[in-house]
Amino acid sequence: MTTFLTYTILGLVLGSVYFIAASGLVLTYNTSGIFNFAHGAQAMFGTFLYWHFTERWGWPVWLALLLVVGVAGPAMGAALHTAIMRGLRGTADVTKIIVTVAVLLGTVYLAQWVWSPDEAHTVDMFFGAGAKVTVAGVVIRYHELVCLVAAVAIAAGLRVLFTRSRAGVVMRGSVDDPDLLRLNGHDPERAAMLSWALGSTLAVLAGVLIVPISGGGLDANMLTLLVIDAFAAAMFGRLRSIPRTLVGAMVLGLAANYVLAYLPSAGTFTGNLRVSLPMILLFVVLVVLPQDRLRGAAIRTRERYRVPTVRAAAVWGAVLVAVVYLYSLLLSDGGVSTFALGMTFAIIALSLTVLTGYAGELNLAPLAFGAVATVVAFHTGVEGTGLASYMSVRGLLLGVAVAALVGGLVALPALRLRGLYLALATMAFGEFLSNMVLRDTTEHELFGFTFTLFPDGSLVVPPPKAGPLDLRDGTTFLMTATVLFALIAVGLAALRGGGYGRRLAAMKDSPAATAMLGQNLVRLKLSVFMISAAIAGLGGVLMSAAHGTVAQESFSFVGSLSLLMLVVVAGIGYISGALVGGLLAGVGASVLVATFGDLALESEGMGNIYDALGHLVLVGTALLGMGVGRNPSGFVHDVIEGYRAMRGARPLLYGAGAFGAGLYLLALTGVIGTWTFALVALCVIMLLPVLGRMYLDEGRRDRPTPLELAGVDEPYTEELRARLDRELGLPALGKGGAGA
Amino acid sequence: MPEGKTLLETRGITVRFGGNTAVDDVHVAMAEGEITGLIGPNGAGKTTVFNTITGLQKPASGRVLLDGDDITGLSPSKRARRGMARTFQRLELFLSLSVRDNVRVAGDILRSTGRERFDLDERTDQVLERTGLTDIADRDVSDIPIGRARVVEVARALMTSPRLLLLDEPASGQTEGETAVFAEMLTGLAAEGLAVCLVEHDLPLVMKLCSTIHVLDYGALIASGTPAEIRESPEVIAAYIGTEEAAHE
Repeated sequence: MTTFLTYTILGLVLGSVYFIAASGLVLTYNTSGIFNFAHGAQAMFGTFLYWHFTERWGWPVWLALLLVVGVAGPAMGAALHTAIMRGLRGTADVTKIIVTVAVLLGTVYLAQWVWSPDEAHTVDMFFGAGAKVTVAGVVIRYHELVCLVAAVAIAAGLRVLFTRSRAGVVMRGSVDDPDLLRLNGHDPERAAMLSWALGSTLAVLAGVLIVPISGGGLDANMLTLLVIDAFAAAMFGRLRSIPRTLVGAMVLGLAANYVLAYLPSAGTFTGNLRVSLPMILLFVVLVVLPQDRLRGAAIRTRERYRVPTVRAAAVWGAVLVAVVYLYSLLLSDGGVSTFALGMTFAIIALSLTVLTGYAGELNLAPLAFGAVATVVAFHTGVEGTGLASYMSVRGLLLGVAVAALVGGLVALPALRLRGLYLALATMAFGEFLSNMVLRDTTEHELFGFTFTLFPDGSLVVPPPKAGPLDLRDGTTFLMTATVLFALIAVGLAALRGGGYGRRLAAMKDSPAATAMLGQNLVRLKLSVFMISAAIAGLGGVLMSAAHGTVAQESFSFVGSLSLLMLVVVAGIGYISGALVGGLLAGVGASVLVATFGDLALESEGMGNIYDALGHLVLVGTALLGMGVGRNPSGFVHDVIEGYRAMRGARPLLYGAGAFGAGLYLLALTGVIGTWTFALVALCVIMLLPVLGRMYLDEGRRDRPTPLELAGVDEPYTEELRARLDRELGLPALGKGGAGA
Repeated sequence: MPEGKTLLETRGITVRFGGNTAVDDVHVAMAEGEITGLIGPNGAGKTTVFNTITGLQKPASGRVLLDGDDITGLSPSKRARRGMARTFQRLELFLSLSVRDNVRVAGDILRSTGRERFDLDERTDQVLERTGLTDIADRDVSDIPIGRARVVEVARALMTSPRLLLLDEPASGQTEGETAVFAEMLTGLAAEGLAVCLVEHDLPLVMKLCSTIHVLDYGALIASGTPAEIRESPEVIAAYIGTEEAAHE
């Protein structure tokens, strides 16, 4: 009985903290229409600040708490709203999600920069772990009492705010009809800012409360994900109802503790199940949610993508293969392997192009589908032993097929719902997979087979081999991956240009109108999700083979998010965006950070600066992601558009081509280093459109100013006036004063 | 009164949004080969009736019958496959596609279901020709004037070779000339046996085209009949001219 009571109390305490976190999420979602994926990251950042004040600077708890919850929390929320979120009104759901994902990543990178993950950070309970009361044989710590009281107070306070107060009513109205609010003399932006400030405060409070009750260790990634568990509670309240959110949070907290109390503690299963519970609940809620009403295009998106013809895609694919081959000649063996890894990421990125760019749906865990394919390929496709072992094509294909199948199963319950729910379902799946499957090191017996899903917590994935094509050789691997990328890209271009692609575009633009033409939307979404999962699976197996050894971390949620963000920043509607975004995610950031790290080690004096630069690269990419609301087409597209405008500047293009060829020869003969070549070539590629514009402007100088701009951009001269009179057929006034 | 075979019928549909009753026990019918009008002041529930007929809105009670079959529980796409097509008051064009592709995609959908085989390009050209859109076929659909954008929605609907065509304010935003051409096209479609239902504020147009008119006010059906009957109906006059006289009585 005491056991039961103890775990019940612990469950209620955990539920209280989940509720505090979830209520903040519900609050911001209801006033701004933005589902804040960065909620956990805000909690994490606030908690680190609290740690900094109390532990590093030794300030009293009450002062630190006052500053963190009373000042830093609201300030963070208000700043986020003012700087980023208010600009997202009228953008696509996908853009909103990506921007909050970028905030999540940026905050995590920033926290890891300020508070090194190599040091241990611990947060103590309020009043210390020893301060407690004993009720009916059950020990309750003061900290736990604080959690319970805070949750009850917040639940009551929010209820009053939403139903009784004027500010709360305005908040609720600001997402439904901001214009109507404005007409009635309210400021919807002020209401939204207030809710962001409040939501952020609740996140921070939840962070400070949850760390001590879940062990006391403070880790940026862990805490961010811990608060994400509260998503399930918020979903239980359908992102609307505070009382239902409270119930969901309590169920979650209790379930987590009962699992711990009553399931066998041997093996890894119970612990893994406990961690996965919120995600399992999230999935169940998704399955039972009633179908959404079909909507038309709620917003007129600004995203517009030019569709390449199959022939153009094939030409560019050939160019890509040639360029990659020429470049690989310059690289060391290590460089070739890294490049090959990047190319496998680019293949995974293509799965996002078709899903998000073409169909407007989201997958927040593309790497998880890569993991599914890898596990299947590992168990069915590894032939031979030791160094002679290889991955058979059969295993590879089986992995891809299972990834597609699992993708379909994961997506199916969420497809009846809005895009946000598919994003959440994929996230739940990714978390579930990394906790339950990729940590599953125990032996299973099924249908007479004995197997271990993830022996020793890591898999050694040998390179694929098909007949004479052996991918053990680095260059062969790189070229095979590149050719595969090009082939899939051409396939996608063909898909997009055909009837299937038109149907996807129609569904993305207006689901209601597409359904009214007889299209079964669930079937179409399911098919595109399965195609996407298959591509992610193929890329995933290749990625694993490129790594050689993969573990749970290779498929982490944060890794998936950063890949997605980089692809969006580069341009998710374009194959070029997938290439650049994938390469950046696979090699770019890690190579740059490692390079800066090496430089920091080499030159001690400059160490701090190089170290800072390395971190700045990461934070910088996240900043780019936050700005994606303003330029949803992505930056690669901008560069390409710059080249499109340069068709007239042939001498410049030929000159640049010759310069590039010369540079390449210098690099090939070892006169200049590979890095020098890469940097100079990159600079030329980026600068050329700028030069081109200057060149073209030069030629345009003599063209006459359009008449309606006379006197605006140019001084209003006598000559212009005479021309105006002439065009308008007026008698020339200058000399006409007498003539009239 | 209707002479063609009744194709679609609503039996006492009622729709509630929270506490508001947007549509209250409405019975309307649409017959093959005829143009039926659905009119009423703003907020009378016309679009909600359309949404209920097409399955975008579930009624709180009442039934929708197509060919005498109860289709109240069917999804919008299934209803579309049974010959229903519509346009939207708030335009729902596919903004990333050209005018031609907006029309063609309806054929893509039709072909993907495997119900019909036809030459897609030929059929697209025919529909564009018939609706007078050939000259702007390759323009971006977001760049064309609203009057013609409405015609694109009609062309898209026609591409599915519907038996019932529901048009939600198709003439708003059209110039007088465009409306005249449009009216002629509708008459032609009805003559081929298509059942057309028109929600429209342009009363002279409705009076001219429709053989039967249903009048909604505050969600309730206040009159049904021929244009002449509607013109004489005291309830309709009260609803349109205002309730002052009604209040004085």
